[in-house]
Amino acid sequence: MTTPTDTHGRVQDSFSAYLDGELAAPDKALVEQHLAACLQCRTHLEQLRRTLGSLGSLKRKAPPTFLPDIQRQIFTRSSGRFFGQRWRLFGKIPFEWLSMAMIVAMLAYYILTQHGAPTSVSPTP
Amino acid sequence: MTASLSERLLLARLRNREEAAFNEVVRLHGDKVFNLVLRMVGNRSEAEDIAQEVFVTLFKSIDTFRGESQFTTWLLRIAANHSKNRIKYLSRRPTDREGLDAMPESVLADHGRGPMHGHVRAPDAVLESAQVDDMMQKAISTLAEDHRLLLVLRDIEELSYEEICEITGLPDGTVKSRLHRARMALKEYLEDKRE
Repeated sequence: MTTPTDTHGRVQDSFSAYLDGELAAPDKALVEQHLAACLQCRTHLEQLRRTLGSLGSLKRKAPPTFLPDIQRQIFTRSSGRFFGQRWRLFGKIPFEWLSMAMIVAMLAYYILTQHGAPTSVSPTP
Repeated sequence: MTASLSERLLLARLRNREEAAFNEVVRLHGDKVFNLVLRMVGNRSEAEDIAQEVFVTLFKSIDTFRGESQFTTWLLRIAANHSKNRIKYLSRRPTDREGLDAMPESVLADHGRGPMHGHVRAPDAVLESAQVDDMMQKAISTLAEDHRLLLVLRDIEELSYEEICEITGLPDGTVKSRLHRARMALKEYLEDKRE
């Protein structure tokens, strides 16, 4: 025979599943039927609902220095292999354009020295 | 578990130790990892330290991620393990919760925020919110470590039961029954304090 205490216990054991919407329809109906008649269980359910509602507000963002701090740690532990200032600087230099400019400059220098300069003329006797 | 194309591309870049990819991962998951760790250890400076360590571990061991679970749950498992280890370490050491670490989390969260960083909250509202936050954090800290983890994952981070099972390695039924006990214990603690 089921005592009233057993019923309260069984219903309260279902509260999490009830609030998560995880109870099967017949079980949900039984819980709601009991709640309609039991102030004690209704109070417990409201308290639980309030508690879970408060938990939802406990979200905090990582501090603004979070990423730089991690990068610094990895830089130190990798002996400067990753996240180093030196590599960041190299990333900003446009090597492709610099190479092209060097090639053009060398070509111009070659043309000028080979074709632009006056050829030496030996004086006529 | 099938990862999206963008996630697979990001993982490939991460495996190549591309710094931009790593920055992207921290940008995407930093807050979630930090908050999980913060709620587990209940101390901001410890949480910052652990959360950084989580991402350093990620950078070092991304090659061990085989894609059998979601990347997020794998990362949160690392965060959970680091948190548990630190809790064990701290429990063996006398604690010092003086100074800034003893301040309610939400008070600290509002420090240094000017009008440029969003809304300005009235001092009373800040204090009230800080008190609620502090009370909730104390309540969470009274729970056993594995109960605490389930509560944080489900009721703060709002993960699905499937994700929680992946992170903890526990069967669905165990997660649900332990979570229920954790919630009821938290409720009892808070109701006692309110009376």
